[in-house]
Amino acid sequence: MGRFVPKCVLIDLSGTVHIENSIVAGAARAIDRIRKSGISFRFVTNSSKESVASLFTRLVGLGVNLSPGDLFTSLTATKQYVLRRKCRPMLFLEENAQQDFKDVSVVDPNSVVIGLAPSMFNYEKLTEAFNCLKNAENAELIAINKSRYLQRQHGLVLGGGAFVAALEYSTGLTATVVGKPSRKFFEQSIADFEGVVVEDCIMIGDDVQDDVAGAQAIGMKGILVQTGKYRPGDETKINPAPYLTLPSLVDAIDHVIELHSNGCET
Amino acid sequence: MKIYFFRTKNQPIMSWCEGVKGVLLDVTGVLYNSGPTGGAAIEGSIDAIQRLKTSHIPFKLCSNESTETRANFAAKLTKHGFNITSDDIVCPVPAMVDLLKQENLRPHLLVHPDVLPEFASISTENPNCVVMGDCNTHFTYSAMNAAFNTLLSMSPKDRKLYSMGGGKYYKDGDDLVLDVGAYAKALEYACDCKMVVCGKPNKLFYDQAIRLLGVNIEDCVMIGDDIISDVGGAQALGMKGVQVRTGKYRAVFDEPHSEITPDGYVDNLAEAVDLLLSNN
Ligand SMILES: [Mg+2]
Ligand SMILES: [Mg+2]
Repeated sequence: MGRFVPKCVLIDLSGTVHIENSIVAGAARAIDRIRKSGISFRFVTNSSKESVASLFTRLVGLGVNLSPGDLFTSLTATKQYVLRRKCRPMLFLEENAQQDFKDVSVVDPNSVVIGLAPSMFNYEKLTEAFNCLKNAENAELIAINKSRYLQRQHGLVLGGGAFVAALEYSTGLTATVVGKPSRKFFEQSIADFEGVVVEDCIMIGDDVQDDVAGAQAIGMKGILVQTGKYRPGDETKINPAPYLTLPSLVDAIDHVIELHSNGCET
Repeated sequence: MKIYFFRTKNQPIMSWCEGVKGVLLDVTGVLYNSGPTGGAAIEGSIDAIQRLKTSHIPFKLCSNESTETRANFAAKLTKHGFNITSDDIVCPVPAMVDLLKQENLRPHLLVHPDVLPEFASISTENPNCVVMGDCNTHFTYSAMNAAFNTLLSMSPKDRKLYSMGGGKYYKDGDDLVLDVGAYAKALEYACDCKMVVCGKPNKLFYDQAIRLLGVNIEDCVMIGDDIISDVGGAQALGMKGVQVRTGKYRAVFDEPHSEITPDGYVDNLAEAVDLLLSNN
């Protein structure tokens, strides 16, 4: 009694499985092992810079053995949300990511969806978004994620979250955050796995707030990996502390498989 | 002479203008209303400014305008018919320049190109703070990223972000547009720091205006159409705050206001000046 046996593992992508266009050492084999172990798993990402199809192709190209169904992205979750709420969003997304919203009506917008859209983070587009939110009835500001900044080839750049904060300030609205660390996102990501509840899950990621604290806040366990955006001392930034802090995805998966097989033996 | 008794229910008659030795005036909504073709002077205000000028009561125009120099701003008001020079105007840019000098700060400037010349005397090499003003179309992703990286390069507790005004939005002709406060919030969020507003209702800013008047703060009155930033801001610092019923004033929200009780309400600047001059 009381021993934790993981039934499902959620794995962050950027910074955990790959960094830009290189895969974390040993990650592909570790993912194969989790597949063979019988533990349910899903990749959960806040990325909004490209369509799910394009992300999938890129991961396969990096040597990750996966099927499209293994991915749960904030882009997909946002699209489901927008359709459910019958929103006609003004989309802050680049062309590639807009593909995923092809069948969503964006005429006469009554809401604003903010993802990563460098070409739209400017006075004209933000003012347009502001007026849309100010004029539409029950207007909704939707954040695909609330990322502060991200690493790009030439250094750090502002993430969509900064511009969400700007629009929140000027409109007086509070944004609905769809991606990690929202409770709903984690719950939706395991909805396909029958009989799995949050207490059965482990989240592995490099972001101590969005991945680890977010998952632990709803009853999952969180493993912080020391790759990607991890910086020494990150594990001390949250309370309760991460369930574990490990060098990389490989160690995290070893640990999960060990817990699982110990659980099966007893 | 006009009689002003019974003007409003809650206003002790003639109280706010007693003992006033200096006057601060908001500009937009008090002297003139902005509009698509440059706007128009508010009735009686041109004459009121003239009468104030020839009186012994010192005054300054106190505006959060940060997209043009004081000289251009004065020229705009002159075109409307006001007898105003740039020396009559206090706006955030010169106040910001003073503050930078006092504190030995070297700013990364995210300001409108038209006001850059006003910062000519300040070194911007190896910046140790970020200064923002309203840039309207010059707020681009790359300009924002440059300011962001400057802030992020400082240690978290040393991040200094100054914003010339913290407005949410304003009316530009017929359109509502985002004000500098929104962009400052974006950097605040990304860099985990707090902006310092240089402009109304910030104390440093009002202090500077009052220094120029050469009177004590409690002997000053601020007259404006923004009940929060003009009236409430002035009262919080020990000035009197008087609300005009022009500009963005709306009876349903502002009289009475849920939080702020002005020291007086006047129909317009002309009435305020009438009261001031007949009681001093
Ligand atoms: Mg990550
Ligand atoms: Mg005003």
